[in-house]
Amino acid sequence: MSTYRARTLVEAIEEAAASTKTGYRFIEEASQAEPFFTHGGIERASARYGGALQALGAKKGDRVALILPDNADFVFAFLGAIRAGIIPVPIYPPTGLGKLAGYLENTLHIVARSGAKILLTNAEVKRMLGTIQAQAPELQKVVAVEGIRSSREDLHPAKVSLDDTAFLQFTSGSTSRPKGVVLTHRNLAANVRAIMERGIGIRDGVDSGVSWLPLYHDMGLIGFVIAPLYHLNTITFLPPLLFLKRPTRWLSAISRYRGSISFGPNFAYALCVKRIKDSEVEGLDLSSWRVAGCGAEPIRAENLQAFADKFASLGFDRRAFISCYGMAESTLAISFSKLGAGVTTDVVDGDALWSQGRAVPIDPESPRAAPIVQCGSAFEGHEIHVFALNDESSENPLGERCVGEIRLRGPSVTAGYFNEVERTQESFAGGWLRTGDLGYLADGNVHICGRSKEVIIVNGRNYYPQDLEWEAGKVEGVRKGNVVAFGTLKPHNDRERVVITFETVVTGDAPLQALKGEVRRVVQQALGLTVDDVVPLAPGVLPKTTSGKLQRSKTRELYETGTLLGRAAPRDVNTVEVAQVLAKSQLGYFRHALLGGKKSEE
Amino acid sequence: MKWTRETLRADLVALFGHHAQADTPVTEQSHLVADLGIDSLGVMEVIADIEDKFKLTIPDEALHEVDTIADVARAIESKLAAQGRLEG
Repeated sequence: MSTYRARTLVEAIEEAAASTKTGYRFIEEASQAEPFFTHGGIERASARYGGALQALGAKKGDRVALILPDNADFVFAFLGAIRAGIIPVPIYPPTGLGKLAGYLENTLHIVARSGAKILLTNAEVKRMLGTIQAQAPELQKVVAVEGIRSSREDLHPAKVSLDDTAFLQFTSGSTSRPKGVVLTHRNLAANVRAIMERGIGIRDGVDSGVSWLPLYHDMGLIGFVIAPLYHLNTITFLPPLLFLKRPTRWLSAISRYRGSISFGPNFAYALCVKRIKDSEVEGLDLSSWRVAGCGAEPIRAENLQAFADKFASLGFDRRAFISCYGMAESTLAISFSKLGAGVTTDVVDGDALWSQGRAVPIDPESPRAAPIVQCGSAFEGHEIHVFALNDESSENPLGERCVGEIRLRGPSVTAGYFNEVERTQESFAGGWLRTGDLGYLADGNVHICGRSKEVIIVNGRNYYPQDLEWEAGKVEGVRKGNVVAFGTLKPHNDRERVVITFETVVTGDAPLQALKGEVRRVVQQALGLTVDDVVPLAPGVLPKTTSGKLQRSKTRELYETGTLLGRAAPRDVNTVEVAQVLAKSQLGYFRHALLGGKKSEE
Repeated sequence: MKWTRETLRADLVALFGHHAQADTPVTEQSHLVADLGIDSLGVMEVIADIEDKFKLTIPDEALHEVDTIADVARAIESKLAAQGRLEG
């Protein structure tokens, strides 16, 4: 587009303020309110939050950590910080059951690593965090947002240029401690343009979005808070936990507000199929839904198919699906499948794929057929190529349909991780970002097969743990989604052994033996791979990141050191592991959370 | 509708019984994750059912320190009591 001009997010916020028809709507669960702020209203609210942060002592370039469960608070504080030149560091709020120990550890790591000067949160979380301030040397203040909501401090706008850091995006780090991806305004502008123009063919001022995605995650934050400011789209936000509790609310919001753009990970579509009863969605109209994006985790075409089948009668068009490939290091998006084409798979010979690293097309009816989801080609101004893992200089791109590591370069790619020189260097090879994903290119389109570090190699053949886990998860008695497969050279260091661990509520020697046998049989039959060891575990034993992703390398480590089997379920671990950290804050929070005194309800 | 501490617990045990894996014994002391095999996504489904049954809203924050069915019962008790719907 000849008229295109890269703008900072600050300019986008200020220019959007003139729009009186578009803006953000925040659906709240407790009050059942749905306040709507025009883009002008957002500009004013962000000025108040930004002014409050400045009054607290934050200056241009300072980091401010944000743990704000309320969507409106988050949007205003985030954008306010940006306008003040302050660097926001979004951190996810505590969620789910009894994972407080891991949560505090992770949060402390991010706060300390980012060198945040102020942590802005709500009163509830502030109480939980307890002694965090004492453990993060640069953290000067932990501030409850309730105190600044009605602040009247003036914003003193900072001079912000395209090459200034906009914010730090900490990756969830399934295999290692979270790293802060540095994103500049130039990165944001480039990726927003790629997503909105080429990716989804946005209609400025016309398309409207609906999102329940968490705003501390790139897909929710960049896709639905930042990008729409550049293109004046109305967005309706739902609290993430409300979606998880009542998935129907996602679809009813799309129907009610005629949403044309909405995204979710694979599991979100699967959850709708599993949980939503036909009676709940009677009368809904999903025909406005033009782009249904799927990304952020491996895509299973069969899940999306099931969603399209289930909701076709409500006007959902399966061609609305696009498969999205992205990562925080590329701001958000790397490639999207073609608009209007729906999810397409490349059916290849599984044997050749795993054994020779070649993606050879095969008859879909063949028993060796492996469908690989197609994720589209590189955006304008960006390049994607596949290289051998040991190609440190990225000089020899592999050919069409050869499996290797996917690498990319272009204006969306981060300059590196905040204060992590070594890990930044490890992430690049000859100027190309190493994604750590294995895949191949066919007709310029990206196809992802798995993560490079976790591939299990047996007799020269590659197996992807996701495939083993998927198959094992089909066995009755195995807790789906709580299966970890990995390869290990232990105990004899002679060859790679394949281990599958999973959680189950089955107990008793005989039933467990039968279950182990069934897992071996199913995996053998599906992948032709003999499993060396099958380890059933009690629920809650497998290590997960605080965002709930399984930790394969950690599981392997526990297995290799012989401590996996002796590992206690969370209820036995919690108090021991965290007693010290929580000594002061736990009791107060415990009482508060369980015995009330919280949020309004009728 | 009103509950006593006893009927509340009995109703909760029955409700969790629908969400636990088959043949799992469910008692007040059952740990949601370790005994019943309910994961963080599953728990949201249970919460929705609880809200529907007891006609109340359970704030997200109430979940962080819930381990057993008895913990859930205590959280609900205080809400019912506040609305004058807990007897005895």
